[in-house]
Amino acid sequence: MGIFSKLFKTPGDVLASPAEGKTIDISEVPDPTFSEGILGKGIAIIPTGNTVYSPCDGTIDLMFDTGHAVNIISDTGAEILIHIGLETVSLKGKHFKTFMNSGDKVKKGDKLIEFERQAIADEGFNTVIPMVICNSDAYEEITPEPGKDVVPGDTIITLKKQGA
Amino acid sequence: MKTFDYTVKDELGIHARPAGLLVKQIAGIKSNVTIAVKAKNKSADAKRLMAVMKMAVKQGDVVTVTIEGEDEDTAAPQIEQFFKENF
Repeated sequence: MGIFSKLFKTPGDVLASPAEGKTIDISEVPDPTFSEGILGKGIAIIPTGNTVYSPCDGTIDLMFDTGHAVNIISDTGAEILIHIGLETVSLKGKHFKTFMNSGDKVKKGDKLIEFERQAIADEGFNTVIPMVICNSDAYEEITPEPGKDVVPGDTIITLKKQGA
Repeated sequence: MKTFDYTVKDELGIHARPAGLLVKQIAGIKSNVTIAVKAKNKSADAKRLMAVMKMAVKQGDVVTVTIEGEDEDTAAPQIEQFFKENF
């Protein structure tokens, strides 16, 4: 981790990448719902795989019945939305397969959703995966790491709670 | 206390984006705002994004919106208008 881990003795909560791919700044997502932070601060991943994994230990607060998104509350209280692709709610579940249900406890790295990336792209959808913190106000700092090639499990967001 | 019922017309219901827009819309309102789908025995604080999404409001659901607080008289018609224009 280099110099940063030495500088910050208490790095705070971290969230891992839920997918294989490349991280980008959330402001680069071509959908104002995400780029303008309407759902919270965060990051996005341009996926190269077909699976979404849990970014942390926590509980599935809501597995969307369309399988295109999932809400997780981390064991440390972060409210996380992972949204697979843009406008993909209109696929109504097509090309998505879920592996967890609302209320399930999960560990970092547990498989949550499989998605047919190529098929979704072929239907004209952008497959970028925004991951945002819905309770961003609870945090003093939310530090994403855009511009990285990542595999599931790599840290891509560090959270520092208010007053921590 | 002000309250109104609204039947959701949007084919996709209140999913992530509309939930975000609703929470943003009412963030500046001082009153407490709750949404409930009585038929499903569910309710949520409309200022909490994850709670609103968890309601998973569908097309055809009757949402009861309750506004209670010092600015309820001005807030209620604004919120009702927002529902009509967006959901």
